Amino acid sequence: MSVRSTEGGRDAVRRAQRSRGGVPPAVANALKLLGLLVVVVWCLFPFLWMGMTSLRTGSVALTNPNILQGPFSLGNYQEVVDQGFLFPLRNSLIVASVTTLICIPVAALAGYALARLPLAGKFALLAATLVATLFPPVALVNPLYQMYLKLNEWTGINLLNSYAGMIIPYVALTLPLAIFILATFFAGIPKEIEESAKVDGATPFQAFLRVVAPLAAPGVGAAAILTFVYATNEFLLAFSFAPRDLDVQTVPVFVGTFERVGYENPIGQIMAASVLVSIPLIIFALVLQRRIVAGLTSGAVKG
Amino acid sequence: MSDSTDVASDVVVAARKRARSLGEKAMGRIFLAPSLGFMALIALFPVIYAVGMSLYNIRGFNQDFVGVENYVRALTDPSFWNAVKNTLIFTVASVSLEFVVGMAFALIMHQAFVGRGLTRAVILVPWVIPTAVAAQVWRYMFDHNPGFVNAVLGTDINWLRDPAWSMVGIISADVWKTAPFVALLLLAGLQTIPKDYYEAAKVDGANVFQRFWLITLPLLRPAIVVALLFRTVDALRMFDFAYVFSGYSNSLATLSVYAQRYLVAEPQLGYANALSTVTFVIVMIVGLGFISRMGRHMVGDVGRKEKR
Repeated sequence: MSVRSTEGGRDAVRRAQRSRGGVPPAVANALKLLGLLVVVVWCLFPFLWMGMTSLRTGSVALTNPNILQGPFSLGNYQEVVDQGFLFPLRNSLIVASVTTLICIPVAALAGYALARLPLAGKFALLAATLVATLFPPVALVNPLYQMYLKLNEWTGINLLNSYAGMIIPYVALTLPLAIFILATFFAGIPKEIEESAKVDGATPFQAFLRVVAPLAAPGVGAAAILTFVYATNEFLLAFSFAPRDLDVQTVPVFVGTFERVGYENPIGQIMAASVLVSIPLIIFALVLQRRIVAGLTSGAVKG
Repeated sequence: MSDSTDVASDVVVAARKRARSLGEKAMGRIFLAPSLGFMALIALFPVIYAVGMSLYNIRGFNQDFVGVENYVRALTDPSFWNAVKNTLIFTVASVSLEFVVGMAFALIMHQAFVGRGLTRAVILVPWVIPTAVAAQVWRYMFDHNPGFVNAVLGTDINWLRDPAWSMVGIISADVWKTAPFVALLLLAGLQTIPKDYYEAAKVDGANVFQRFWLITLPLLRPAIVVALLFRTVDALRMFDFAYVFSGYSNSLATLSVYAQRYLVAEPQLGYANALSTVTFVIVMIVGLGFISRMGRHMVGDVGRKEKR
């Protein structure tokens, strides 16, 4: 008797819950999956179009929007490689890697100092770092150009049309965000660990190098990835300082300023180039997903 | 006896402490110096240099000091105001759409469990593609032939020739590329809100919209402000989409594009530096407005943790 009454009670509760929730769980789950599908389609549909368009050749490819309409071939890839697209791929890789390799160690030192060491005006310095992340690159175009010309005049070192000419401003523009991310990560490491290292006789510098730096590795990884992506993405300064020379031109400049040869519409080649640069970057994003999210959100999740 | 050794050890400890804090102070300055020096030389000095150059009329090797004439010229230049207008339309439209779409995506991903990991990986894909590449792809998607946008919408719009529709084009492209980024920031914020709050609100009879309005939005505020800061500043200094879609033509020229036109395409360096300085000032004012609302919160976090 009593058992039945509790069962009835449970049923009533279940019914009440269902009516309040509005939808049965199976439908709710289906809706959730449908929502995720919308997000995935949103993110990927241009790549479907890009990939199919890169494979289409012949005059139909220039007039018919139906991406399933052939003929298909790898001709566009052949052409874009013949036009030297592998050079910009290499250049972007070099510029982004060197930028990251310079920026991160320098930023790690500053981030550690801001998070841990006694400094006058620390709050002002952190605020200034945050403000420096706002810097619009267009404000650098002419002054840096003039500085490069002067440097060439005085020392014979030419930074125009060189990797260094891009890497130098990239480091300056990525330093603030890297410093900010790293300072946040360093501040999250318990101070006691460091103190105990010092009690054991480590100098402050040893404590930083042996104890704190390894613990901050996730932060270092996140900052490095963001720096790398910034440098592969940057267009305005690369376009101003290294616009044409294939030996130094980066991918955004090659693709963004792709010019038609003769009267041919270069859509096929542009899409082939886009696919060639997208594949490694997409793999990069998928593999390093967790680190990227940690880096992007390190400033945002502070409740 | 024991007293004197205590005193002695106290002195030693104090001396060690002083030495260490001296060492730490020096170390702080040494650690900070490369970053500050580099940024001062490559970012701060050039801006000051640009302000100086903006006070001259520069033609070839002739430089005549003209004071604020270049700024006066900007204020009376219809093309400059057109660039201001384009920049503002692009910024307001793209940032608000990105916020709405990003919020929707974040809520979807926060609700779901099956497939969330995969979605969170895929959502990074638009973000990692270089803007110039995305711009080319979107430009051709909108192109009359063989772009598919007209075919899908059943319209016959010349997206790339008509300035208003081109603006719609670059706004769509930007929203596509960065709404997922906004979603990630907001999702991270959503994950910090305790579930109990929602349970308690449910018990009190709050419906879905009340829960969103009264719990989610206020508690998400820090994440929202950070997302809006990054997006607004990025939109205000935007160059890639506008340039790839229509070069230096006035139809889409943002402030960055308009300044770049006089820096490179038709060199008038004094005027160009005035334009880039104005862009710099606008971006900084808007950015500082955001930071003054949340900067203490973000920066204070580092300080708080340090005291722990």
